[in-house]
Amino acid sequence: MTSENNKERSMPVLTLTNLAKRYNRKVWGVRKMDLEVEDKEFVVFLGPSGCGKTTCMRMIAGLEVTTRGSIILHGKDITDLPPRNRDISMVFQNYAIWPHMTVYENIAFALKLQKKSRSEIDRTVKEVAAMVKIDQLLSRIPGQMSGGQQQRVALARALAVKPKLFLMDEPLSNLDAKLRVVMRTELKAIHQRTGATSIFVTHDQSEAMSMADRIVIMKDGEIVQVGTPDDVYFRSADMFVAGFIGTPPTNFFPVEMKTAGEKVELSHPRFAILISGSDADRLKNNGQNSLILGVRPEEIKVVPEKDSLLSVEVMVVEPQGSFQIVAVEIEGEIVKIVVGSAGKIQPGERLHLSFVEERLHFFNAETTKRI
Amino acid sequence: MPDTTEIQDRETKRNLTPYLLIAPVVIYYIIFWLFPVINAVGGSFLSTSLDKGGIFTLANYKAVFKDPIFWQAVINTTIIVIISVTLEFFLAFGLALLINVKFRGSSFFLFLAIIPMSLPAVAVGAMWNSGLATYGWLNSFLIRIGLIDPSNKILFLAGTHFSRMILIILVDAWQVIPFMMIILLSGMQGLQPEMAEAGRVFGGNRWQVLRKITVPMLKQTIITAMILRIIAAIQIWLIIVMIFGFNRLPVLMEQIVLNIDQYMAEEFFRKGMALSVIVAVLVSGVSFIYLKASGAFDDPGSREGDE
Repeated sequence: MTSENNKERSMPVLTLTNLAKRYNRKVWGVRKMDLEVEDKEFVVFLGPSGCGKTTCMRMIAGLEVTTRGSIILHGKDITDLPPRNRDISMVFQNYAIWPHMTVYENIAFALKLQKKSRSEIDRTVKEVAAMVKIDQLLSRIPGQMSGGQQQRVALARALAVKPKLFLMDEPLSNLDAKLRVVMRTELKAIHQRTGATSIFVTHDQSEAMSMADRIVIMKDGEIVQVGTPDDVYFRSADMFVAGFIGTPPTNFFPVEMKTAGEKVELSHPRFAILISGSDADRLKNNGQNSLILGVRPEEIKVVPEKDSLLSVEVMVVEPQGSFQIVAVEIEGEIVKIVVGSAGKIQPGERLHLSFVEERLHFFNAETTKRI
Repeated sequence: MPDTTEIQDRETKRNLTPYLLIAPVVIYYIIFWLFPVINAVGGSFLSTSLDKGGIFTLANYKAVFKDPIFWQAVINTTIIVIISVTLEFFLAFGLALLINVKFRGSSFFLFLAIIPMSLPAVAVGAMWNSGLATYGWLNSFLIRIGLIDPSNKILFLAGTHFSRMILIILVDAWQVIPFMMIILLSGMQGLQPEMAEAGRVFGGNRWQVLRKITVPMLKQTIITAMILRIIAAIQIWLIIVMIFGFNRLPVLMEQIVLNIDQYMAEEFFRKGMALSVIVAVLVSGVSFIYLKASGAFDDPGSREGDE
């Protein structure tokens, strides 16, 4: 137990160095992965399909041969070890519960192979079954169970081995929307209780935001950004991250920069905005005049006409209960705005908008990187 | 209610549909299957045909059971079935596992492996007959590669009873392994790869994963492959006759053909009928016992309280 203020970095549990995977000597699944995972951390690999997140997890599990690089777990190089010698466990997307075994046998499988005593196996199985609330189902066979129950069995099986590293490959994506949110909370609670270092793969950014200590955002087999949910949301490393994280995602406006004394002016065909302070300094130092301005939907405000930056006509309104998403068209691009639910907005209505200036994002128009 | 009769009419119509659809098959079976079967079973209990004043008799069966060749055939068939089906299963399973890992060129290997299956038994028999003859291609080949001396040709076909049996088992295996392999391979390809992967992650080595996960999950496929092979193996005869001729290695089916087709006398014809009834009962009996023993009749959902 370390005390709260003693926050020195401990040795990483998992270190990936220059990890890469190529299929058939031509197609790169993962180009380059460098990552350190801390003890008890919950790390989420997030990215669109085909970005290499699952391949990377399968390499950590030992189910894919690595083309290059190394995987160190608790100081031991496991790059070329078979899965059974890696001290890991895994929850598969399609559960992969063995249909010819009862729930009890499924959970006890690994323990039996470890030659644990009968009483110890029995104790562990009952303990983890209670943790995921399937203690009533131990004698059932998986064919008689719902998807949610099977997912719980997969979870119990993975918890039973008390691994050094807990891998989860899109474990919630086969569940219905309501159950997914329930399981999300339970998984987080289980993680807090067991403290097992975990890697979780998903393509669902809201799942990643709600569960992760740190999110690893991947694209085309490479890491784009590693950071806390706040990091990736408020300080997105590039336009890909800004456009991937958040529902609805960041709105982008191409702007031209002009220096105006201490300040800089960003001009768009429909509006011009003055930037001051450290943001202005950064933009001046950057030197480029063509930029992309990124504004999160909730950082566009509806204001009285006299304070407004621009006025637009409402195209579509999507009520969400506690808020509404308003879509407007600005220079041929759809821009989405999150507005509180007070005061119903109608399509065709004119809105006067302004931006929250301290929360603007600036990106290089060519490299798409954050400025 | 005026609705009720209309609903009943519709339901009757709907219920009749499946029966109408299977009717042609049922009629076909009655004419071409059931009728000959009744004829054969009945005929095996008659001294001669009914219009010639035939009466009920067990003489045909007595003739079968008194015949020492019949008992020899039973023993031979049993040995061939047990050894060849076991051998074929393990080899076919191994080949299927090999092809299933999809190495480079595995599809070409699969193509090569299924060639023997496409050959008819007569062709296989003729091929091996010319191969195994004293001046056959197998001896020439062995001499050519220097494995044996020209003065020392192997007399494959003249061997003992035992060596003839081995030869038949090998030739039979060569021909039917692909058949079994295809069935097993299709079963393997139907398994989600994650099932075996989970086995490896949760501590199993390849052998343990095979034994505790792959094989149990393939149970239905294995039962199907085995039952088809057992039924076919009990009925082996053509290849034996092609290679050795009649009565050199007596088996059950060969004896039926011999009695019904080769001896031109009614007592042999009726003995052959009795023999075919015996073989039919035997095949059904063995299949039933196998299915029962392998648990194919068990309800897969009935494993409550098994902890």
